[in-house]
Amino acid sequence: MKTSFHEQVTLSSARKMCEGLIAPARMCLIVPLLEDYLNHISCCIVKRMSVRMVARRLGSKLLPRFAPAATLHSHATSFGFKEVNEEEKSQLVGNVFTKVASNYDIMNDLMSGGLHRLWKDRLVSKLSPFPGMKHLDVAGGTGDVAFRILETINSVNRRAKEDTLEDDLQEETQIYVCDINPNMLNVGKKRAQERGLGDLGSLVWVEGDAEKLTFKDDSMDGYTIAFGIRNVTHIEKVLAQAYRVLKKGGRFLCLELSHVDTPVFKQVYDYYSFSVIPVVGELVAGDRDSYQYLVESIRRFPPQEVFASMIADAGFQKVEYENFVGGVVAIHSGLKI
Amino acid sequence: MHRSAAKRLLHSSFFYANQTSPIRTIAAPRFRFRFLASTTPEPNDFNTRTSSSSTLGDRPSHTSTTSTPRANYEEEQARVLAASLHHVIRLGWTEAAMIAGARDVRVSPSIVGAIPRKEAALVEYFMDECLQKLIDKIDSGELQLLDLVASERIAKLIKVRLQMQAPYISKWPQALSIQAQPSNISTSFKQRAMLVDEFWHASNDEGSGVDWYLKRTVVGGIYSTTEIYMLTDNSTDFEDTWIFLKERVRDAFDLKKTFQEVKYFAEAVGAGLGSSLQGFAKKS
Repeated sequence: MKTSFHEQVTLSSARKMCEGLIAPARMCLIVPLLEDYLNHISCCIVKRMSVRMVARRLGSKLLPRFAPAATLHSHATSFGFKEVNEEEKSQLVGNVFTKVASNYDIMNDLMSGGLHRLWKDRLVSKLSPFPGMKHLDVAGGTGDVAFRILETINSVNRRAKEDTLEDDLQEETQIYVCDINPNMLNVGKKRAQERGLGDLGSLVWVEGDAEKLTFKDDSMDGYTIAFGIRNVTHIEKVLAQAYRVLKKGGRFLCLELSHVDTPVFKQVYDYYSFSVIPVVGELVAGDRDSYQYLVESIRRFPPQEVFASMIADAGFQKVEYENFVGGVVAIHSGLKI
Repeated sequence: MHRSAAKRLLHSSFFYANQTSPIRTIAAPRFRFRFLASTTPEPNDFNTRTSSSSTLGDRPSHTSTTSTPRANYEEEQARVLAASLHHVIRLGWTEAAMIAGARDVRVSPSIVGAIPRKEAALVEYFMDECLQKLIDKIDSGELQLLDLVASERIAKLIKVRLQMQAPYISKWPQALSIQAQPSNISTSFKQRAMLVDEFWHASNDEGSGVDWYLKRTVVGGIYSTTEIYMLTDNSTDFEDTWIFLKERVRDAFDLKKTFQEVKYFAEAVGAGLGSSLQGFAKKS
């Protein structure tokens, strides 16, 4: 059976990863057990590939449960199409974003033809922010999503319709912008000043790791992560942290570049991703490699259904996803009850 | 059998109405995985959770362990909507009322964002609640419908149902406009159809064929016009509305008799014409 491009890549990298891990395992004391385990994993991955194709035809929903373990393992050690150690991945990603921080917004506009603004608008409208909300925007360095949320809450339109009792709640609104990279946060703070949102107490800039959030349990009404979850080392840790900080009734929303399946458009999109974007990155930002990483990391990220099942596994209910532009971008949402 | 069908439709209509096509939902994989992983009897735990979640503000605030099963989001949604109804009189059928309701049951108001077609969900919940209350009243026998004639029974049922809307009458035009929106109209039509069906079922209707549709259309019309009349009625206890209702019901039943008479007349004329044509044909 003809395997898709994505599956070929995952298959070969899975094999390489297992071979790469078996070698150092020989140094370890529990060598035989590890070797068996890793061999088993590689067999499982191969089997999983063929079983998944069968299952897709049968339309089984149980299968994604087995996929996460192997996919996560490969996600944690993938930097685009290259294989790296888990510890190195966050360092490498950090370097990428330090380099692109100053041109981040211009490049976003160029690569998506301005569409990213609409996607972020849609994300915020799905969130339905309200006055007095405590919101956490993770990997939101340059502040796009946070600004939109704040402007929605403070909009004159909304205030005209509102009850006067809610005015005091307005002051309690807190939007936390968390990012692992201080350069991105600095760009965000500057932009906030320009937009006139700098002096409001409502925006709080926090430097932190999405896998180890410093916020208290059950403290946030909303959690968004826009174009960030692709870059983390351990997706399931991020999802678990998101579940932890959300209150009962809180919502998790993730905007991310995702997989396109429609036949002709897929080819067009692949051509655009691999041939056009790195060149634009070279011309505008002088940095081809970062944008090569970007497009490769999109391909390595789990597809919509698998990611949705991962969100459900973290404990969220009412897990849904909505595709835009045929799957180029998807917004996944979940509810904590 | 008919009653149970209505009840089934009632419970499922609210939840199905919340599905929209371009958004794909993972249908509760959580429960499936938990059933595979744990050995605790799930249905029992679910029931105890349901009964405990019906009391407001009783939950201890501890982090959930795997032994306590989490409440279904649909139940939480229903609780939030029930609490929101208290705020409708002040805030209208709006998101603000739902946010206030969520705060009352100590759930984050973000849940309102997850409810599809927000205000419409609130209105539909209210309509379903009223239908359920009506069915309960009929079943308990407090309306004493058996003592009444068919036309009086219909009038009484419509009156009882409209009285449930009386507290919200100041904001009811907004609810009607929400129900009339294109995205909501199919659900509101279905709810009204179920309501009218219930009226006729309670008055022991034995219609069939075209008659069945005709009866429901007529009573549906009476119900809607009375509802709208009630919006501008300022008399005490809506006296004028009930007089209006009685007149309409009487007209409808008179009209039925008129239609029957017209039908017999037409048959008679047809028979007469037919025999004269036969005679004419025989002659030539």
